[in-house]
Amino acid sequence: MAESNNASSPSLPIAPIRPLVSSESPLRRTLRRLLHNRSAQVGMGMLAFLILIAFSASIIAPYDPIKRVPDVKRRSAPCVHVLGCDADKSQHLMGIDGNFRDLFSRVLYGSRLSLQIGLATVTAAVVIGTLLGAVAGYIGGWLDNLIMRIMDVFLAFPSLLLAIAIVTVLGQGLINTLLAVAIVSIPVYARVVRASVITVKDLDYISASYALGTPRARVLFTRILPNALTPLIVVATLGIAGAILEAAGLSFLGLGAEPPTPEWGLMLGEERNSVFNAPHLVFFPGIAIMVTVLAFNLLGDGLRDALDPRRKV
Amino acid sequence: MTPKNRLSAVLSMTAAAAVLLSACGAPAAPKPTAAPAATAAPAATEAPAATEAPKATEAPKATEAPAAGAAAKIEAPDCKYGGSMKSIEAVDATTVKFTLCSPDPAFPYKLAGDPFSILDSKDLETTGGDAVKISEAPNGTGAYKLKEWKRGESLTFEANADYYGEKAKTPTFVLRWSKEAAQRLLELQSGNTDGIANVGPEDFEKVEGDSALKLVEVPAANIMYIGFNNTVAPFDDPKVRQAFSYGINRERIVKDFYPRGSSVAGSFVPDSFAVGASPNVKWPTYDPEKAKALLKEAGKENLEVSISYRDVVRGYLPSPSTVAQEIQAQLKEIGVNVKIDVKESGAFLDSVTAGKEGFYMLGWGADYPDATNFLDYHFGPQNAQFGKPNDEIVALLKEAASTADVAKRQAAYDKVNQMLVDTVPMIPVAHGGSALAFKASAEGAHANPVSAVKFSLIKGEKDTLVYTQNAEPISLFPNDESDGETFNATAQIYDGLLAFKTGTGDVEPALAESYSANAELTEWTFKLRPGVKFHNGATFEADDVLATFGAMWDVKNPAHKGRTGNFEYWTAYFGTFLNAPAK
Repeated sequence: MAESNNASSPSLPIAPIRPLVSSESPLRRTLRRLLHNRSAQVGMGMLAFLILIAFSASIIAPYDPIKRVPDVKRRSAPCVHVLGCDADKSQHLMGIDGNFRDLFSRVLYGSRLSLQIGLATVTAAVVIGTLLGAVAGYIGGWLDNLIMRIMDVFLAFPSLLLAIAIVTVLGQGLINTLLAVAIVSIPVYARVVRASVITVKDLDYISASYALGTPRARVLFTRILPNALTPLIVVATLGIAGAILEAAGLSFLGLGAEPPTPEWGLMLGEERNSVFNAPHLVFFPGIAIMVTVLAFNLLGDGLRDALDPRRKV
Repeated sequence: MTPKNRLSAVLSMTAAAAVLLSACGAPAAPKPTAAPAATAAPAATEAPAATEAPKATEAPKATEAPAAGAAAKIEAPDCKYGGSMKSIEAVDATTVKFTLCSPDPAFPYKLAGDPFSILDSKDLETTGGDAVKISEAPNGTGAYKLKEWKRGESLTFEANADYYGEKAKTPTFVLRWSKEAAQRLLELQSGNTDGIANVGPEDFEKVEGDSALKLVEVPAANIMYIGFNNTVAPFDDPKVRQAFSYGINRERIVKDFYPRGSSVAGSFVPDSFAVGASPNVKWPTYDPEKAKALLKEAGKENLEVSISYRDVVRGYLPSPSTVAQEIQAQLKEIGVNVKIDVKESGAFLDSVTAGKEGFYMLGWGADYPDATNFLDYHFGPQNAQFGKPNDEIVALLKEAASTADVAKRQAAYDKVNQMLVDTVPMIPVAHGGSALAFKASAEGAHANPVSAVKFSLIKGEKDTLVYTQNAEPISLFPNDESDGETFNATAQIYDGLLAFKTGTGDVEPALAESYSANAELTEWTFKLRPGVKFHNGATFEADDVLATFGAMWDVKNPAHKGRTGNFEYWTAYFGTFLNAPAK
């Protein structure tokens, strides 16, 4: 009791040390940097736009994405009235697909799926990866060896191939695709977290925590991890882009989302043979994937710059 | 999937990046493919074109004596060797008798096919039946003879002045090839060619809109069907199958997803066949209310099923995945949720054949235009793809297959077709169409459902008729080939005993003037046309027929060589070779 009293309430008041650089908290500083970063600005703008579309797809979309539009020509080109399309024809901004559905509505609804896929898979992978990496890095020894060698085995597979194998075992379907993509991306996060945990765990303040008698688990989760997550945020943001691409790839191969789900990769795959006689059917879903992936990549880049402790400003 | 399958799936998947890389290069599926496949690698490497073989025509043969070496009869010791041919006998110089082990009403249709063209017995003897050597100086009885084969470029034919039938309308015929449908169309539009094969489905309108061109639809000799397996729930309930046949709008599928020249299937057998299709037997017309009522009656509302197919484009199914989604959307309207299950081609066919697929899309292309090729294969006793075969249908098919009388056969098939409507082992959807295109000026332009185009009947604008097809012929020895590009060349040079009437699947005489069969349909006697000459001047006689068929049938025949030695059509129609080495 006496000891702990002594330790927690020093008898001599110590004057607060004035920060040398600024009085800003790290979070505020990061945010400020992020908002001033050009690529992050563009990325966030695009992302905000996509999220808006995803939330309001059911309001904006002129047609049901999985219902046949009556009285239209199969795979007909986009018809936009302001661009000179006959006013008596119904308007289809991105044309009609091979099953007589409005492509514009499908692309809009597709944004929901892709964002969900990206966020869900990366969240799952980050949670599991962080736990594994943190435990491995913190405890070390044979457990570290065991966990990281398993991760190495996962990393040794081409990720798409591993995802295909997982989907084949679990069966086709969107949920299984999510699982497959998540499992495939766990090792990356585990590695990143382990590396920063190892760096942080030998720092003086951690030793101080031990000295204060903080339980080990508590040290890991409240002292080490919060300070080891910075690189993870960057990797995870970039990882969302990768996950979206991977899920689209699986759907393209016919292993992901099931028809008639309006998933961009699936839409590309279904119409891949029409690329010459109905290019709009692969152009628009392709552009949609590109824009989404680009948005996350730009944001990730900006985050990296903003979180980089070596960068001033 | 069972756990075992899962394990093997993981193993195979991890091991095989090939799955990805060769997604479309699946090994040629054993059966339900469109008949003679239209793709073939040019075989330019096989025959050095440099050395010009002495043309047989340049050296007129001396007097044609009955070939001494040819046997007058080829005979299997018994019918246990695995084939259905018992013997082939030259009764005299102009009579040939085939004896079969079992009745076969389709025998004339089989013999009318392009692979059963007749060669000169002397040629087979001197070349040893080697397809490469025969291709250098092909010697047939056809309306055209080969002038030159510029490898990789073109084949040039000149009219045979001594042809026994209708002489060629254009003195010179040139056969060329180009792989891309768009390229072929361009050649036709620019006037470099008089006709092209396989118009792309999306170009049909373009051709029809051009007054200088005409579209010639190929009579469909195939069927796309939606199959059920009556041992897999919920399709073991006939009411469910019937409900589906009311709930699927076949007209809409054909109208929206098939090219011109396709038709809604009235029967499983294409209408162009002499027997087998029953115009009076009607499949239910689209009636979603009735479908819902039937499902309700069966207590199977809110059904969840999955439809399986392979993502392979065939003449009978030009866009598999869109059709699957259309069926999915249609069945949704009668309250059935359909999951779409795309399978790898080989695995899918195996699974269907093993009777594991409950609800699937598949099709069939004719090998020869006879009902037996469609009905007996699918609804015979040995086929498990629809589950338990219907005994009554099996009996009726057996009866029809051993009847020579066309009217009696048709009566049996009418009953079969009615039973198919009643029991719904499958829903016939479409006979998929394809088309050739010609210059509007090309008189006599036609297309045949199961045989090559007869270019001698087409009149070119000038003295030369040019036709551009997909690929170069592989050889000019038809008996050991199976691809349509090759037959487009060989069918001009050679004739068979019988032929198909232009534009139909009906048999007409060719090298045989007439034929007859015994009541059991096991003995077929062909009276040969007298005075027919081969291009080299040799007379056509019974020993040529024996030599040609002997080379195909008998492994011990010195001329049993061909190109691959597989003689695919022979084994497909007549089973095992004679004297085949034991496995």
